[in-house]
Amino acid sequence: MSHSGSVRIEGVVKQHGSFTALHGLDLDIRPGEFFALLGPSGSGKTTTLRILAGLESVNAGRVMLDDTDVTHADPGERDVAMVFQSYALYPHMTVGENIAFPLKMTGTPAAERLAAAQEAAAKVGIGHLLSRRPGQLSGGQQQRCALARAIVRKPRLFLLDEPLSNLDAKLRIETRAELRRLQRELGVTVVYVTHDQEEAMTVADRMAVFMEGRVVQVGTPKGIYLRPASVAVAAFIGTPPMNLLPAELANGSVGVAGAWLPVDAAAGQRGRVVLGVRPGDLRIAADGMPAQIEFIEDLGDSAIILLRLDGQQIKMKTDQAQSLQEGQQVFLRFNPAAAHLFDHDSGLRL
Amino acid sequence: MKRHPVRHALLWLMAGLLLAVWAFPVLWALLTSFKSERDVLAYPPVWRFAPTLDNYREVLFGGSSILPNLWSSLVVSFSTTLLTMLFAVPAAYALARLNYPGKRASGFYVLATQMLPPMGLIIPYYLVLQKIGGLDSYSGLTAIYLSFSLPFAIWLMVSYFEDIPFEMEEAALLDRAGRMRTLWYIILPQVRGGIAVTTIFVFLNAWNEFLFAVVLGGNKVRPVTVAMFNFISVEQTQWARLAAGAMLAMAPVILIGLFAQRHIVKGLTVGAVKGGGRR
Repeated sequence: MSHSGSVRIEGVVKQHGSFTALHGLDLDIRPGEFFALLGPSGSGKTTTLRILAGLESVNAGRVMLDDTDVTHADPGERDVAMVFQSYALYPHMTVGENIAFPLKMTGTPAAERLAAAQEAAAKVGIGHLLSRRPGQLSGGQQQRCALARAIVRKPRLFLLDEPLSNLDAKLRIETRAELRRLQRELGVTVVYVTHDQEEAMTVADRMAVFMEGRVVQVGTPKGIYLRPASVAVAAFIGTPPMNLLPAELANGSVGVAGAWLPVDAAAGQRGRVVLGVRPGDLRIAADGMPAQIEFIEDLGDSAIILLRLDGQQIKMKTDQAQSLQEGQQVFLRFNPAAAHLFDHDSGLRL
Repeated sequence: MKRHPVRHALLWLMAGLLLAVWAFPVLWALLTSFKSERDVLAYPPVWRFAPTLDNYREVLFGGSSILPNLWSSLVVSFSTTLLTMLFAVPAAYALARLNYPGKRASGFYVLATQMLPPMGLIIPYYLVLQKIGGLDSYSGLTAIYLSFSLPFAIWLMVSYFEDIPFEMEEAALLDRAGRMRTLWYIILPQVRGGIAVTTIFVFLNAWNEFLFAVVLGGNKVRPVTVAMFNFISVEQTQWARLAAGAMLAMAPVILIGLFAQRHIVKGLTVGAVKGGGRR
């Protein structure tokens, strides 16, 4: 591969009529990285992917691939491959012809095409299906066929648009591990769009969190999980989501529902904040924030406890739910280091 | 759910009746075409008669041969079909896919031409053709047929193109196919059912056309639909020859119908694209 596959997006603005889909987007994706674009529906992640592919024009800004400006280049000139959410297989061609099609378009001789298609199909485990038509394949096999068509011409950049969303839960988990393996094996840059934070967390080297047409945080999945940059990111990342409570900050402690608990905060900081605590970081103690257990969801090895605290519903995850009962009054505490503090007005991390 | 046997029988009966109503005149004409003029006029109708090929011989090679007329019909229908499809396929693709100024207006125009009563156009068309010397000419009649068949074919083809998911074209663009090769390798193979159907409709419409042919044709260009009226004169109607002529005129239509059945494949794209939502 002559190219390394780095991506830089600089100040990209995209408008659909009066609606602004992207407000001046900046992103840097390193060569060989598995990079996820994560965000809720309508946050601009698919638009970003389509701009990278050249399927959408931009209203302002630049798109650089390997330090070459491709902002106005046609999709075919960019040397990128894309797997669509719908797979977009060509129904009138066999699987083999589908996979070989990109090579046919570049004028590769027939014999070479066949060999390459066989190799690509074998890599994704559909080597025995080359003579079938897409309509005769299962969803998982269609997905693999789309992948094989993308890898066959060894592009510098792979764009995957929610590639697993049409698979059932079990297959999705299997396939995402396989995607990861395939990406490492090929050593290629992957940009991966998903609205499923768990999926992004498990496959991505780094990810960008999209909210309302803006990238609100870029980092490793672990880094974002541990230090969400805002209330919105905190609420989006993690299952079940982080509990967010209005609180008062003073003298290194937060006051919630009449209880004051220590947090890691500079002594000088004070005022109204939003306190974030992940369900797994809450524990029941002899004193602390008073709450009432409303419901217990038993997951077998652990349980999700729904509680009411100061009129707000929160969740706690624990593996010691045996002694708890619905309706019971309890006190909650958390480790000071596990508390996330956000500015009440801006929503940004303190 | 199992269908009620009585309902089932009724359905078959209805279908059979409808088929009989449709087929009776055709079969009657077929019988008539093998009768002698005397047998044709026999009353009550004779079911046993000595079949003869005289009518076909006369109609094909006799004094009032319709061979030149079959040729006229073929030329006009073939050129109409060819030109229509040549323009309609790209035009329909453009209407279905591209955004250009005036797209809505041109789409409406295509539909509006289908709403005009043809009868109202005969005189204007006659005058126009007369002015440019297009009366009784292949090019003149073909041009007039195009004015109907082209909008019809475009309108029919647009829906076939619209059925193809956008993402399929985008995938082809990323596979470096470019617009023209995408059309050739990806789009056209998937609408070939639609192309077959449209081609047949256009051809049959042109082949069966009578109104414009009788007014705008003449001695040189006289399609078979018009020529058959030679067998109906003031003194007598030559039923047997008329029937033989009608059979010959119908033959290509029926042959095309039989041939095309296999080509009208529906649902070729079903199952190729799942989901397909776009955010």
